Amino acid sequence: MKQIVLIIIILFMSRISAIAVGEPLTAEAIIEKANHTAYYQGKDGRAQVSMAITDKQGRKRQRRFTLLRRNVMQEGAVDGDQEFYVYFHRPADVNLTVFMVKKHVGRDDDRWLYLPALDLVKRIAASDERSSFVGSDFFYEDVSGRGIAEDTHTLVETTKNFYVLENRPKDPSIVEFESYKVWIHRKTFIPIKMSYLNKNKEVYRIYEALKVETIQGYPTVTKSRMKDERTGSETVITYRNVTYDIGLPEEIFTERYLRNPPKKYLR
Amino acid sequence: MKRIVDHPKIVTALMALTTLSFILVAVLPSIWPELFPMLHPIHVDTDPENMLPKDEATRVFHNEMKEKMSLNDMIVLGIVNETHPEGVFNTASLEKVFELTEYAKTLRWPDPEDPNKQLGVIEVDLLAPSTVDNMEQGGLGSVTFEWLMQRPPATDAEALAIREKAQRIPFLNGTLISEDGKAVALYIPLTSKEVSHQVATALEEKIATFSGEEAYHITGLPVAEDTFGGEMFVQMAISAPIAMLVIFLLMYLFFRRVVLIISPMIVAMVSVFWTMGLLIATGNTIHIMSSMIPIFIMPIAVLDAIHILSEFFDRYEETKRRKEIILEVMQTLFKPMFFTTLTTMAGFGSLAFTPIPPVKVFGLFIAFGVGAAWFWTITFVPASIMLIPKRMLKNFGLKQEKKQTSRPSKMTSFLNAMGQMTNQHPKRVIGATVILTAIAVYGIFQIRINDNPIKWFNPSHPIRIADKVLNEHFGGTYMAYLSLEHDSGQEESNQYAERFLNDLKTHSDEQEGLLPMMAEVKDKTIREVKRLGDTAKSDLAFLDQLETFVNEKLDTDPIESAEAWEEVLLLIDLTRQKKQIFKQPEVLVYMSNLQDHLLSTGIVGKSNSLADVVKTVHRELFLGEETAYLIPDTASAVAQTLITYQNSHRPQDLWHFVTPDYQTSSIWVQLKSGDNIDMAKVVESLDQFIKTHPSDLPLKHRWFGLTYINVVWQEKMVSGMLNAFLGSFVIVLVMMIFLFRSIKWGVLSMIPLTVTIGLIYGVIGLIGKDYDMPVAVLSSLSLGLSVDYAIHFLARARILQKEHGDWQKANIHIFGEPVRAIVRNAIVVGFGFLPLLAAPLVPYQTVGFFIAAILLSAGAATILILPALITLMSSWLFSEKKISSSPRSSLKGGAS
Repeated sequence: MKQIVLIIIILFMSRISAIAVGEPLTAEAIIEKANHTAYYQGKDGRAQVSMAITDKQGRKRQRRFTLLRRNVMQEGAVDGDQEFYVYFHRPADVNLTVFMVKKHVGRDDDRWLYLPALDLVKRIAASDERSSFVGSDFFYEDVSGRGIAEDTHTLVETTKNFYVLENRPKDPSIVEFESYKVWIHRKTFIPIKMSYLNKNKEVYRIYEALKVETIQGYPTVTKSRMKDERTGSETVITYRNVTYDIGLPEEIFTERYLRNPPKKYLR
Repeated sequence: MKRIVDHPKIVTALMALTTLSFILVAVLPSIWPELFPMLHPIHVDTDPENMLPKDEATRVFHNEMKEKMSLNDMIVLGIVNETHPEGVFNTASLEKVFELTEYAKTLRWPDPEDPNKQLGVIEVDLLAPSTVDNMEQGGLGSVTFEWLMQRPPATDAEALAIREKAQRIPFLNGTLISEDGKAVALYIPLTSKEVSHQVATALEEKIATFSGEEAYHITGLPVAEDTFGGEMFVQMAISAPIAMLVIFLLMYLFFRRVVLIISPMIVAMVSVFWTMGLLIATGNTIHIMSSMIPIFIMPIAVLDAIHILSEFFDRYEETKRRKEIILEVMQTLFKPMFFTTLTTMAGFGSLAFTPIPPVKVFGLFIAFGVGAAWFWTITFVPASIMLIPKRMLKNFGLKQEKKQTSRPSKMTSFLNAMGQMTNQHPKRVIGATVILTAIAVYGIFQIRINDNPIKWFNPSHPIRIADKVLNEHFGGTYMAYLSLEHDSGQEESNQYAERFLNDLKTHSDEQEGLLPMMAEVKDKTIREVKRLGDTAKSDLAFLDQLETFVNEKLDTDPIESAEAWEEVLLLIDLTRQKKQIFKQPEVLVYMSNLQDHLLSTGIVGKSNSLADVVKTVHRELFLGEETAYLIPDTASAVAQTLITYQNSHRPQDLWHFVTPDYQTSSIWVQLKSGDNIDMAKVVESLDQFIKTHPSDLPLKHRWFGLTYINVVWQEKMVSGMLNAFLGSFVIVLVMMIFLFRSIKWGVLSMIPLTVTIGLIYGVIGLIGKDYDMPVAVLSSLSLGLSVDYAIHFLARARILQKEHGDWQKANIHIFGEPVRAIVRNAIVVGFGFLPLLAAPLVPYQTVGFFIAAILLSAGAATILILPALITLMSSWLFSEKKISSSPRSSLKGGAS
């Protein structure tokens, strides 16, 4: 009963705030906008990505790949399914390796891996999306985007430049965090910082956008860093040559193109 | 001496004051460290690693490798269910395993020295069913990555599925999940060993809240060490006072007067306080060795005082003028006490020549304590006699005399019989000695050198039980690591640059048609290559610097040339990867062969390596079929297997097996036994294998890990102890020759203790007791103690011979008072060490038992062998003319 009353109150409150002109946005609205700026700008896009993983001892590993991304247009959905094509240039011995993802909102993604030296195309099933992305400190989910419906969002603070939101997982058993905070830039809606807290309420993982550029009118993070306090490792991603709306054909994101990379779109 | 006797109160006050300051210097900084920053607080050290000096090569390498491979000390928590038919693989047990893991993850505390750091469990490296990944076949030709146990299983079928999955993964089977499928082990890595007690205690508290069929076993070296530290204090708190009590009772038995034996007890305490105070004040640690210092000092410290008191009260009844009697007694006894003290100090001091720091400290501080005991014996004991109220001295000597004469005790008649026997059948005594010695020599050759820190605990100790249970279920809980390193030898950077240049030309020629900017980029690169070829310090530095240069160009040059620069980067990477030896299939196959061989020793229960990781991933990529459990045949295929592996929840696990530059790799070797002898066998067997299976791979191997370190310090200890023993033997021999002013008497005095030590070590060899750390320490320290008997015996023998002019008559007298004194001393010291048998740790028990055995048998050997030898060789021995020169006459009454 109490809960119902609470829900009614919340609904009522959010109604009011939405109606009022120029009034502060709801947490949901903020997170939706932020999710859009972070992952959905343009119809599609391409970036040349360098990844530098530096471990606690200062030892560095590099990854270099091309990232292709295409939004799948769906009826009634604004920011819905997406397709990703990750083509590795370096390390030299993984050159030509391809990682392909069909991201589905609301259900498990489909992932493929092509390993040229083993001449093997493999579908990958995973119990969750919080495993490492090719050995870096970024999770697979950080690259493709975490479904906003998977967490509850609360606006805890609005500063001069940022909306600060606290996010809690709806199913805590499948994630390693207890909650995470995100600082969203009020003008651009770019998430500038995220910090993840464990069950001890300690910050153990920090994301920071290090450089933001406006490309083709879209504010774009071109350099970002993920630091894992538990391992002492950090990964810096640099995006070069970012281009939006290049007209990627749908057929690229199929198994056939894993073995035969679409060179034209990778440059 | 006269001043001492004149001012007994000042002497006593001085002793009290100095002792108090020794105590304060040690206690104050331990209680209020912030108030006394310049002083050293008590520092307990239970780390067996410290048996080797910090800068010792093996230890330095061990620590380097630990850092390089991100390895930490671990607590092992084994959970066993012997009741349920499926062991712990049922919903109830796994629920607890899950809960314990979640709990263990949170065990962290702020570092008191650095608030930004935390101490405790390293969450990300924790190995538990819920923290590791499973990789297996999914539907439709897909491969699944998932947590092995994301949440506790809801049904027993799910529980069994978890076991099935884990047993398919070589890294987990026999390590995380027992091979018999009944038990699970959690490996809990720690930021530092120092928190192991805190973590273990917290885990125990959590376990106490569980009920059920499961048994929990906590082990791992850090816990063992911590527990050891605790037991060490128990030893000091229990064994040392018991020793004190035993000595007190024995002295009371012999002298029957408390007032008489109080001053030796005080001397013993004061010597202990001085020594321990100095030990702490000089910043030395309380280690397994140094914790035994008090119990060594106490029995030795009372000996000289016994001589003084016996002598004093023997004479007191004659004149009752105590001041004069004391001065007389002190003059008579000064020299023999001085020499026996010196020999004891030399015996212990010789330990300073061992290469093992804790043993050095032990030897030196006992030598100091013995010196302190001597000093207070010759000052405080006479002073204390002056302080005894006169009425308490009344009739004392008489009483004493009465006791002695009214009891022609069993001991006296036994000793008399013994004296006759040595006199009448000297050849039989010597013959028996020779036979025993021959057997002892045989025994010494049977000695097995071996040690195992876990076996320092009693077999009933929880750690020993945990050790036994877990080694029954798992592939072994003793970890050693075999490191393999690329032994390439660096190339000159200019030659390297030359070769790179050729590759660059070929590579860019291929690309020039496709990339318009390639030619220009190539020219720029060539210029830089030439420059770096001359300046770079090494081949790899050359590549790194060139890479930095190209990356800068990528940022600054127009976007059109980016692709050409990328080609150069690819070439740099290709060149670098040629050096990444641990991606080469033939190297991984070789590693597998090494592992197979290790397993064939029967001592190694399991090993894990990069090769296993590659094979496992490869198998799962190819439908999970056993035929695909192999190393793929190209370096690129290996690399792609590994990049697949890095998509897991724990990509960092890879770096425990190989460094990111693929220049160093380590094989984890799990041994079922922590005995040094077994580790040594494994090392030897591997060396043999490498010799008989030569390969042209540029690899060098070297062991590290605590199980291996133990072998190294043992080897050092054995040779070090032998040197220390020989050194102190020579020193004591020289002192004896000087004391007796005769080479033959000097050599003679060394015979009983040599025979004794030979016999004891012969027995150790014959009964199969391992020659371990405490046994090794015994040899040289017992030498300094047991020579005392020979000094007393021979000194008295010469005096009596002179008095009676005939050895036959002298022999009868020597088996009176002098031999009785020797027997008493042997009993007091020998039994004084026996309380060590009550100690909770095996090394203490060993030391207690063997020291007692050595001292008692040295006493026996002295009073049997020496008179027999003198009887046989009396004409030759007593032919010396200078028999009555002054230093020897002062030995009169050397024994009470």
